[in-house]
Amino acid sequence: MTTTKCPCGSGILMRDCCGAILDGRTKAETAEAMMRARYTAHVVGDFDFVANTHAAEVKKTYNKSAAQAQAETMQWVGLEIMETVEGGAGDDEGVVTFGARFMQDGVLNMHRERSNFRRENGVWVYVDGKINPQIEPRRIEKVGRNAPCPCGSGKKYKKCCGA
Amino acid sequence: MERRFECTACGKCCYGWLPLSIDDALGHADRFPLFLQWTPVRQGGKSYDLAVELGLTIKLKNRKRAAVRIEPISYVPPDMPCPALRKDGLCAVHDAKPRRCRAMPLSGGRAENDQDDLLIPKADWACNTTSTAPVVYRDKKIVTREAFELERKQLMADADVLKPFAELMLDSIPSLRLDLTKLAQRPHGGCMILSFSTLVPRLAYVDIYALAAKQLPVMASFAKLTSETPKHADEHRRYTASAGEWRRILDGAP
Repeated sequence: MTTTKCPCGSGILMRDCCGAILDGRTKAETAEAMMRARYTAHVVGDFDFVANTHAAEVKKTYNKSAAQAQAETMQWVGLEIMETVEGGAGDDEGVVTFGARFMQDGVLNMHRERSNFRRENGVWVYVDGKINPQIEPRRIEKVGRNAPCPCGSGKKYKKCCGA
Repeated sequence: MERRFECTACGKCCYGWLPLSIDDALGHADRFPLFLQWTPVRQGGKSYDLAVELGLTIKLKNRKRAAVRIEPISYVPPDMPCPALRKDGLCAVHDAKPRRCRAMPLSGGRAENDQDDLLIPKADWACNTTSTAPVVYRDKKIVTREAFELERKQLMADADVLKPFAELMLDSIPSLRLDLTKLAQRPHGGCMILSFSTLVPRLAYVDIYALAAKQLPVMASFAKLTSETPKHADEHRRYTASAGEWRRILDGAP
């Protein structure tokens, strides 16, 4: 384990990456680092780490034996962090959107989730997540009739594309 | 208007599907073949508001909505007796029988003013509804409330677990939402029967391997009981699939 690359996809050796967080040598400084470590914990079957990094309200409903049983049926393939909002070293809350690929019954699947993290007593913990979050709908902004045309012509909107 | 009712312990109602509380399901996992029943209830129905409280809502066409109830059930074919029904027609688990059975014929899962039809026994049932039986329902109000209230209370407590579970399932499996929407729009409604094991990750106190060890022989036994009758083909398929699922969990036990 110590000389293999970290399953979280950082390209760093496991012992210097999530491995150090899993065995308590270092702390996850950011929400994203905690998310990566929790993914790695799933890969290596460290469900105590997963359970211990839940917010108090999640601990009540987390079933370790069921998570373990589920893990037996799947093989994690890779992690992709899609977006991180706050969750930095100076923040107390953060949101990490990720996709984790896994093989199950010979089929490649993707678990997509937008997870909320909170810092409790200096430690990042998982609060909740939205599975398969909808992609933000495209925002349409109104252009004022006298505003410069968004096409970049330099003309007023009403004299150009808005005409 | 009054309705009189007294149970004569004929055992005739102890057949087929039996809705269970989560505790009932886990407490009788070595006896009942457990599944989850998902039932859409269309807007405007008598117990719709209660269904919204106990379940979740999905959007339908024309700005309408349906509530979806989620309940554990003992999934036994309608013509087969409850596994706890003794040959003499009495209940083998009377002291620990499920809340649903205690509340019979009233239902905590229906609005109080929507109980009338439940108090009319089916043709072959031997319930006493004559003038010697006590009045149990008067002017749409339940007279003897204890068992009804207990079932309602249990349903409310279970909803705290089942609602977030169901939301997670709908988010994770887009086809589930589509199937429920189709069911809700069918003239005669219907329900879906899904695996009980999907709920277990939300029940922190349950050892899934111990549960699998109880459910596997139950599913295998019901798969055998339903193997030779064509009308039980659907049930047989579900028991077989569920047995396989519990077996895979047991095979992976540490």
